[in-house]
Amino acid sequence: MIRSDQLDHSFVEEVLAEPGGENLLTCSSCGTCAATCLVRRYEPSFNPRLILRRASLGMREAVLSSREIWLCSACDLCYDRCPKHIHISDVMKAMRNIAIREGYERPGPVATVNVQRCVACGQCVAACPYNAISLQTVTISRRQKLAAQVDANLCMGCGICNAVCPSSSIAVEGYSDQDLYSDLRTSTHALRQLAGKPLASKVVAMVCQWSLRSEADTSVASDPPEGVEVVTVPCAGRVSPLLVLTALKEGADAVMIVGCDREECHYRKGSQLYERRQVVLSSLLDMMGIEPRRVRFAQMGSLDRRRFERLIGETLRDVPCEAAV
Amino acid sequence: MVDAARHPNITILTYSEVDRVDGFIGNFRVQVTKKPRYVREDRCNGCGECARVCPIEVPNDFEIGVAPRKAIDVPHGQAVPLIYAIDIDQCVHCYKCVSACGKLDAIDFSQQPEEVDLDVGSIIVATGFETFDPAVIPEYGYGVYPNVITAMELERLANSSGPTVGRVLRPSDGRPPKSVAMIQCVGSRDARFLQYCSGFCCMYTIKNALLLKQMDHNLDVTIFYMDIRTPGKSYEEFYNRAREEGIRFIHGRPSQVTEDPETHNLFVEAEDQALGEVIELEADMVSLSPAAIPRADSEALSSTLALSRSPGGFYMEYHPKLRPVDSPSDGVFLAGAAQGPKDIPASVAQGSAAAARAARVLLSETWEIEPIVARVRADRCISAQGRKCGVCAAACPYGAITVVQGEPAHITQAKCHGCGACVAECPQDAITQDHFTDAQVVAQLDALLKDKPEEKIIVFMCHWCSYGGADSAGTGHFEYPASSRGIRVMCSARMDQDFILEAFRRGAGMVLVSGCHTQDCHYISGQQVASRRFDRTPRVLERIGINPERFRVEWISAAEGEKYARVITEMDAKLASLDKETLRAEIERARPEIARRLKRWATVPGMAELLEEEEVLA
Repeated sequence: MIRSDQLDHSFVEEVLAEPGGENLLTCSSCGTCAATCLVRRYEPSFNPRLILRRASLGMREAVLSSREIWLCSACDLCYDRCPKHIHISDVMKAMRNIAIREGYERPGPVATVNVQRCVACGQCVAACPYNAISLQTVTISRRQKLAAQVDANLCMGCGICNAVCPSSSIAVEGYSDQDLYSDLRTSTHALRQLAGKPLASKVVAMVCQWSLRSEADTSVASDPPEGVEVVTVPCAGRVSPLLVLTALKEGADAVMIVGCDREECHYRKGSQLYERRQVVLSSLLDMMGIEPRRVRFAQMGSLDRRRFERLIGETLRDVPCEAAV
Repeated sequence: MVDAARHPNITILTYSEVDRVDGFIGNFRVQVTKKPRYVREDRCNGCGECARVCPIEVPNDFEIGVAPRKAIDVPHGQAVPLIYAIDIDQCVHCYKCVSACGKLDAIDFSQQPEEVDLDVGSIIVATGFETFDPAVIPEYGYGVYPNVITAMELERLANSSGPTVGRVLRPSDGRPPKSVAMIQCVGSRDARFLQYCSGFCCMYTIKNALLLKQMDHNLDVTIFYMDIRTPGKSYEEFYNRAREEGIRFIHGRPSQVTEDPETHNLFVEAEDQALGEVIELEADMVSLSPAAIPRADSEALSSTLALSRSPGGFYMEYHPKLRPVDSPSDGVFLAGAAQGPKDIPASVAQGSAAAARAARVLLSETWEIEPIVARVRADRCISAQGRKCGVCAAACPYGAITVVQGEPAHITQAKCHGCGACVAECPQDAITQDHFTDAQVVAQLDALLKDKPEEKIIVFMCHWCSYGGADSAGTGHFEYPASSRGIRVMCSARMDQDFILEAFRRGAGMVLVSGCHTQDCHYISGQQVASRRFDRTPRVLERIGINPERFRVEWISAAEGEKYARVITEMDAKLASLDKETLRAEIERARPEIARRLKRWATVPGMAELLEEEEVLA
C-alpha cells in the first residue's frame, strides 16, 4: 500500500526542474513505451511507464533506489511512438542525475580502462555513444600520463570503445576481447568438428543481443541449424574487423554480423559504426584475395519478423562450403 | 439573461408553475400559476434594504446550505428579474422590511396566487437537472464527515461572490486545506444507482482543480477517476494542462473514505491502476462529483406536456440523431440538461437550435402534417352513445385524443402522427386511418391469399423497422424461402388482431407480426401497445382452434436483415413440417367462430365487397 507520506511532491518538482525531466507529468500511462522497450525482454522488471508513474506520484525513494532507472539505454524507440511526445530517456537521465547527486551509483558492468596499456589515442572518446569517456591526466607510479577515463554514471556497457581500441586497453566485463575470442573459438571449434559432413557451409553469426525482436527470430538464434554457430555480442558496434578475420581464419566459410536498424540501434550509433567498418572491411578482404561476400552484415528493424532465418538461408546458399582462405 | 429580460418580445415568468397545457402546435394554451412574492414587481428595484433588516435566517438552497439566507431575499446575486420575494412560511410578520422599503412601498402582504393564461405557438422545455445525493453511498461518508463535500459546494466556496468570498475553507475548522482529493463518477456509471455517464463532471472537476491550484500553487490536488472523458473541442488540451500543472490523476475508483476523528482529515483508498498498487491518500478535504439526474418534478411536467422520458429519466428527443431538439409532441422542443446531461457549449447550442425550431412554427401560416392521420367515425363511437370507453385515448402515444363521455372521441389531427394504435385498439372499429383503412389492409390479404393460401406466410411489417429489415435482407443478399408475403403498415400498433384472424380465415399457413424493438419505436410507445396486444393472441388462437405455432411475433430492426431471413426460414421450415390437410381442416373448423368475431366489419365502409362470404355478412 502506498501512503501519503511516500508521496513527496518536491521530488516531482525536482524532476521537472532537471533538464530532460520537463515532461514527466504529461504521461498518461498508456503503456506504449513499455510495449516498445527492448530492455524489457531481458529485464522483465523494467517498465518505463511504471518508473514515470512512480516519479509523477513523488515516490522519491522507490524511484532513486531502483536498478531500473539505470537500464534505459536511450535507444529512443519509445520516443518515436509516445503519443504525448515524452522523451522518456531524457526523463530517465534527469532522474539518474538526481540519483547521482544523492549518492546512488549505477549498477555495473561498465567499461574499465587498463591505464598502463592505454595510449591515449582518443578513438574510444570519439566512438562512445554516451560521451562517457574522456582523456584525463592520471598518475601511475608517480609518473603522469594521459589516459582514457570512464564516467561510470554515463557508461551503458555497450563495449563499442573496446572494438575501436588499438591497444585492447578498455573493456566491459563479460564482453572483453578475451571473452569474445574465447566464445568465437568455441564456435569455430564446433564447426571444425563437422569437417567431412556434407554441409552447405559453416557460418559464424555474430548477433547483437538487441537485434532480434520477435520470438520467431530469437528461437532460431538459440537453436541454429547445423553448420551455424551464434556468438552473442552486446552490439554490432562491438564487432571489430579483427574479430571477423579471426572467425574466417579459424575456418568459418562465412561470417554474418547482425545488428539493429541504423535508426533503432539500442546503443544509439553502434550499428552505424559497424556499417562504416563493414565498407572498409569489404575492400580489405578484396585486397587480401578473400571473397567479400563471405562477410555479410544485416540490420534488423523492430518490425522485422522471421528475417533471421531467411538471412541464414541466404548465406548458406550463397557461400560455398570450404572456401579457401 | 438581463438582455432577455429587457427584450420587448420576451416575458419572463419566474416563481411560477405550469399547471396545464392544452392545444397543439401553433395553438397551445398554457395555464400558469404565478406564486405570490409579497413584493410588487413594478415597484421593487432590487436594492436589498429589506433583506438587510430581515431578522430571519433560513437555509440557502443556492449556497447549498453553506450559508443562510433571509426570509426576504433573491435566489442569488445575479437573479433575473432582480425582485425580492418573501418566504411566507418563514416570515414572522415583523414588517421591518416594510419600513426599510419606505417610499417605494413594494411590500404587499395581500398578494394572492395569480392565474395566467398564455396563447403560444411553440414551447421549449429547458428545466435543467439536479445532482445526485452522495449521502446514499455510505462508503464515501458524505453527510457524515464534515470535510467531504460535493463539487457544487466546492464551486460555491471557490466563488468570489460565495459565502466565503472565494476562500476555500474546511467545513470542520474553517482553515484552508493543504490537500484536496476529488472523486469522480459518484452515483453515475454505477449499476447500483445510475447507469449513464453524466458527461461534464470530468471537465468541471479539472476546472475546479486548476482553480484551486491557481489560488494556492502548493495545494496538493488529486483526482480519482475511472476514465477521464474529454471529447469536446480543446478539452483534451485542457486536461493535459492540468496534468502538467501538477494535479495528480489517479486511475482508480476509491473504495472508501475514512476519517481521523481528531483532525477530521480523510483517507481515500483506491487502486492506482497504472501501478497496480493500492494507495491510501490522506486529504484535508474530499470533493465528490455527483451524477446529474433529472429534476424531481420532471415526471409531473412530462404528463402536463405529453413528453416521454428516456431510461435515465431525462426527456426523450424525437430522434437521437436526426431530431435531437424536438420532443415527440409537435411544437414542443427540448433544450439543455432537461434532455440529458450536457455541458455549457452543448446546452447553448441546443438552446439556440430549439429557439430556431420554435421560431419556424411561429413564422408559419400553416403547418404540414403527414396525410395518414386517424379519424373517428362518430356514429360508431360508443362514447357518443354515453358509454364509458377511452381505449383510444389510452393507446395514443401523443395525447392527441380526448374522450368526453356522451361525445364521440376527438382526435386533434395536428397532434396525430399516424401510428394507428387507436385504430387497432378501438373495440368498435370506430376509428380509421387515412391510407391504412381496415378495407385497404383486408384487400391486400385478399389478393395475397387468393392462391394456395396454406403455403403462404403473411408478414405484417412496420414502416420504420421490420420493413427496412426485410429490405436489408434483400440488399444484403440473405437468402430466404419465397413463401412470405408482406403487408406494410406504419407501426406494429396498427396491426389489428382482427387482421391476423382474417388472414387465418382466408387460409394463411402462418402469420408473422414484426415491428421495431421497443427502444427503437418511431411512435414512442406504439410497439408497447402492440406487444401487449400480441401477448394475448396465442391464447385467442388456441381458443378458436388454430395451432398457435402458426403465429409468431418478432421485433426486427432495419439493420437486422439477417434476422428477418432467419425468421422466415425457420417459419417456412415449420410450415413445411405441418400437414397441409390438418391446416386446412383447422381453418375450416375455425371459420364460423372467426366470422362471428369479425361481424362488426360488415358495417365498416368498404368492407362489404371484401367479405362476400355469408358467414361474416350474415
